Amino acid sequence: MTALNNNNNSRVTDSNKVSFIFDGKKYFGFDGDTVASALLRNNIKIVGRSFKYHRPRGIYTCGIEEPNALVQILSENDEPNTRATVKKIYSGIKILSQNRWPSLENDFGYINNLLSPLFSAGFYYKTFMGPKGFWKNIYEPLIRRSAGLGKPPKEFKSKSIHHHHNVDIVIVGAGLNGLLAASKFIDTDYDVLILEQDNILGGSLNSSQKIKTIDNLDTRAWIKKTEDLIKKSKNIKILKNTLATSYNQINHIIALEDNSVGKPLASHKPELILHKIRTKHTILSNGHIERLISFRNNDLPGIMLAGSFEKYIFRYGVIPEAEPIIFTNNSSTFSLLKSLVDLGCKPKAYIDARDESSIEKGTKNILEKNKIPFYFGSEVEGCDGNKKLETISIRNKEKKIEKVSGSMLCISGGLNPDVHLFTQSKGLIKWDEKYLTFKPETAFQNTITLGSANGNFNFKRVIEEINEKLSLFKINELKIDLESDCPEDLNIIELWETNNEKKSFWSKSFIDIQNDVTTKDLHQAVSEGFDRIEHLKRFTTNSMGTDQGKISSINSLGIVSKILKKNISEVGTTIYRPPYAPLSFSAIAGRSTYEFYDPTRKTSIHSWHVKNRAIFEDVGQWKRPWYFKKNDKETMYEAVQRESKELRNAAGILDGSTLGKIEIKGKDALEFVNLIYTNAFTKMKPMTARYALMLGEDGMIKDDGIVCKINDQHFIVTTTTGGAAKVLSDMEEYAQTEWPHLNVYLNSITEQFSTFNISGPKSRAIMRKVFSDVDFSNDKFPFMSFKKVNYLDTEVRILRASFTGELGYEIYVTPKYGLELWEKFFRYGENLGLIPYGTETMHLLRAEKGYIVVGQDTDGTVTPLDLNLNWMIGKNKKDFIGKRSLSRSDTSRKGRKQLVGILAVDRSKIIEEGQHVVESSSIPSKIKFPVKYLGHITSSYHSPTLNHYVAMAMIEGGNNLIGKKFYVTQNQSSENISVEIVKPVFLDPENKRLLS
Amino acid sequence: MKEIFSISGIDIFQRDFNQIMIRGNEHEQLNQIINTGVSLNLPNENLKIVSNDNILIAKHSFDQWNLIYFNDQNYRDVLKLVSNLNSNNQVLASDYSYGQVYFDISGEKKNYYLNKLTHFDLRLKKFPVNTMAQTLIARIDCSIYHLKEKYIITCNKSFEDYFTQRLADSINL
Amino acid sequence: MLVINCPYCGERDQSEFSNGGEAHVARPKNPETLDDKKWSEYVFIRLNPKGIFNERWVHTHGCRKWFNAIRNTSTDEILKVYKLNEEPPSIDEFDTTLKTPSGEPDLGSGNFTVKK
Repeated sequence: MTALNNNNNSRVTDSNKVSFIFDGKKYFGFDGDTVASALLRNNIKIVGRSFKYHRPRGIYTCGIEEPNALVQILSENDEPNTRATVKKIYSGIKILSQNRWPSLENDFGYINNLLSPLFSAGFYYKTFMGPKGFWKNIYEPLIRRSAGLGKPPKEFKSKSIHHHHNVDIVIVGAGLNGLLAASKFIDTDYDVLILEQDNILGGSLNSSQKIKTIDNLDTRAWIKKTEDLIKKSKNIKILKNTLATSYNQINHIIALEDNSVGKPLASHKPELILHKIRTKHTILSNGHIERLISFRNNDLPGIMLAGSFEKYIFRYGVIPEAEPIIFTNNSSTFSLLKSLVDLGCKPKAYIDARDESSIEKGTKNILEKNKIPFYFGSEVEGCDGNKKLETISIRNKEKKIEKVSGSMLCISGGLNPDVHLFTQSKGLIKWDEKYLTFKPETAFQNTITLGSANGNFNFKRVIEEINEKLSLFKINELKIDLESDCPEDLNIIELWETNNEKKSFWSKSFIDIQNDVTTKDLHQAVSEGFDRIEHLKRFTTNSMGTDQGKISSINSLGIVSKILKKNISEVGTTIYRPPYAPLSFSAIAGRSTYEFYDPTRKTSIHSWHVKNRAIFEDVGQWKRPWYFKKNDKETMYEAVQRESKELRNAAGILDGSTLGKIEIKGKDALEFVNLIYTNAFTKMKPMTARYALMLGEDGMIKDDGIVCKINDQHFIVTTTTGGAAKVLSDMEEYAQTEWPHLNVYLNSITEQFSTFNISGPKSRAIMRKVFSDVDFSNDKFPFMSFKKVNYLDTEVRILRASFTGELGYEIYVTPKYGLELWEKFFRYGENLGLIPYGTETMHLLRAEKGYIVVGQDTDGTVTPLDLNLNWMIGKNKKDFIGKRSLSRSDTSRKGRKQLVGILAVDRSKIIEEGQHVVESSSIPSKIKFPVKYLGHITSSYHSPTLNHYVAMAMIEGGNNLIGKKFYVTQNQSSENISVEIVKPVFLDPENKRLLS
Repeated sequence: MKEIFSISGIDIFQRDFNQIMIRGNEHEQLNQIINTGVSLNLPNENLKIVSNDNILIAKHSFDQWNLIYFNDQNYRDVLKLVSNLNSNNQVLASDYSYGQVYFDISGEKKNYYLNKLTHFDLRLKKFPVNTMAQTLIARIDCSIYHLKEKYIITCNKSFEDYFTQRLADSINL
Repeated sequence: MLVINCPYCGERDQSEFSNGGEAHVARPKNPETLDDKKWSEYVFIRLNPKGIFNERWVHTHGCRKWFNAIRNTSTDEILKVYKLNEEPPSIDEFDTTLKTPSGEPDLGSGNFTVKK
């Protein structure tokens, strides 16, 4: 049989024909069709193969709940697992069915179905246990190849964005209830946001003719009128194609907007918009979802939920089959029956599980009048057919099997309020014995549930409910006149599964159609002891597919409760977790990808660095010159060797603007600085500086820097580039929480100064040229002192300090003149051999001198004592952060790792950072016992000045091992390098260069 | 003044302002120095702004004020005020002039575009004229000042390129 | 994401804040007089109760000020915020029963959804 057109009476008109390609073949649909409705129009019944058994599958539903019809969109970067029931077609869209090879009709993986006894619940857990090595080499690759449904997309640069909203009211779902609720807020002071997943408003008003008229308008006209009124109201905003996916704490809602519905992806517009909404109140009018009934082969193509079948007729204008068979346990199928008859179609049979007495008159009248075969007190035992539905076995009220042929079966197992969002918000649901479903019971947040989302399936009560529940707002009452000829009650009886007569490998009764979980799996899991619903879910993978068991999870509770002989409310449900439907990673990432992955910071000299072939290193968010390429051919190693050598021979300048700088001022600034740092600052003279260490309360080194004392009330300190934010935060924390009695204020001035570190034997000569009126002699400008110098209309601070071991100065200038002054240095310094250098050279030079880098040579487990920096500890100070911890039993014990220098006995050997220091000359190829490890190399560089590698290491009891010989492991060899332990100073131990 | 973006609904200009960050608890004494220096009184309430054509002063929190000069100011005068303020041992004033960048954002769609970059509630009823906020915009720390019909947003200068690109990006997409 | 009411800036998104753990753990005045055990309790040990908890927050990406809050850790409701120099409100002010949706046990994650 074939599908019929109902476009005249639907929301999709047949004015615009659209061509699309499915599995390489061209078809036609209409503008507004989903992939599913277009396929149904073309009488395509099989649209995919199932996850585990590769059984042929068709379109089961007409919306977000679809378990089967998942397709890959080739024309959109191969987007996999797209719901055919949601995705709208457009001219040229290319669609591929999933999980089949070589084709839908003949799928190789179908062999799994024949092997299905092997694949029962817990199969993976039980099977892939051994022998040793099988997991890595055989099982895992095999499972990986067959896992998932679609293929992962190729890399593409997404343009998805995030959008934030702050509103007073969010309405989820613009169906009858959502629209009525919204109407009440027209022209009020409340900011309202309406989220509608479809591209038209009206919700289920579009899907059936259950409601004939509203206020004497047909539903379509009423929707349009209401939408126009809402749009005119400035305080209400409608977002269509937007699915609320998460309902988080404090009324925070995440909604996903598809920005290219019914059209190809635009190259300059976001594909997806993730709306992050903060609201005061949330109105959930997101409707309900129909559920299935489990029977033998209830997955055959041709079986569809009854409400979905009805939706295809009126929402999309396609009658999938003129003579379907209807199977129900409730009254919701009345409207489908009536609509079909009104459209001149005649269902082949109507099977109702209820007694004849409890079936409403209206249904019986239609059935009798149209001579439709009517089976009450009956059920579907099972279905058969070759890749599609052909025969239906009915167990009639006398418990006899009758066979009816048919190509389409519409089933309704009842209606579930869509409580997903409600429970995400921590609302409590309760089992309703009348409707046999969970209904919202107690809201945990400011949540209002309306209509069928609230378990109210009676249209007559809609307006009463809205007026009552929205009475907390200062808004007017609403009245409507609604005409419907549907039964007011659902009148449902319990029916979760039917008994199978026929046993065969092929015959299966599914509970989770997407994950291929059968009712037998549930029985087996319970008998194996998985009687808690959360355990059972994981063991069977029931409702763990991308549809999260939307049409079947309640059924599984029903079945389990029967097995356990408990009430469903005792069995409970698994927790509904966000997202409601799968979210694309590109939507979650938003713009935080590629160039915006992390905010980037640049110094005022950045453009100069770029021009001068700097290669940049990311230090925190900063872009710092790593090294400068002299020419395109120069390698990093060559550049660093060159920079290091030239600096030690003449002078080099480093852009140190990224160093953290904090200005500390107040009556008690001295006391504050004394408490923060380990050093003693009381006797320090104004306008001098000190290298200082900062510890945590645990005694471990947290940061280092230079403290400049302007006077006892005013200090400027520097921090490491990476530690700047943390150090300021820690200082503020202590100032505010522990020592509020101290009068001290802190400002970050990192950004207020461009900072240059010039060092090398020629640096004094260059400084004299740049700042001609300053006396740079050793007497007048000694090491670790600083001066303020007038420069144009501002002041420059010059500090004599060095991190390279050479004579050096740090210059602090307003960024206004940063670049200008930097260029001036080169104008005056170039003929004296001044070169720019980067962070790698800085690291090399300081390693030659044995200076540590916090975070490289230390790792949060290192005290100053471990580094032999005892001289930096103000022992006479009563207190400073971490002082007490330096005498803890662990920090003062012998055998802690200590900093040492390492030199290869054969000086030509290369020592790598991160390698282990060990006692043996080689590592055995088969390691039977742990190899004793003394510590590791923290820093290692080839020194161009010494012409061999210099390394530092943290090793156990290092101070007592000076002069001893050990070995260092290598990356590419099991032979270890013979090394000697030395003091960690390789160059100028007398500080002659530094103090020159 | 550099135009960053100007399309229907939003205009963004980058401006060169001067700025002083002031810390202290001595409200009266501070007020005197400020009043003598720039003839405006410090606002009393957190997040409030007082301003005239030349200057804006905002109270960030109980011990923190911020002073922005809108017009091209003699830099020496700015530094002079900083030094006058710092003459009091219990006050810290730091010159923030060239370490910050300033964006002047106006147009009726400014909230729409900015809310692509920040969760901050920009609705007039929550963020009225003559108030300020420190918050995250495009994942970086910013201060946003609401003046009549426009915002002034400032952030660290090192973010200048990143922030301008993010502003343009959010308008383009 | 929670909404936190900064005592200086008003209601802001949680992303602007950092949590500082248990409140009212004062740094010992004379650390040198404490034995290792007492000192390690200050450095390393903090409470993490289920239910009412006085904790510290800082408005890192706002005014950068620290303050205290009382949070019900089983529901994540922030019941009250107060400034550092303010006395902690009495616990009796709050409903100390664990007001989770279903009345969870004192320990464990619970997280039930069905009302019995």
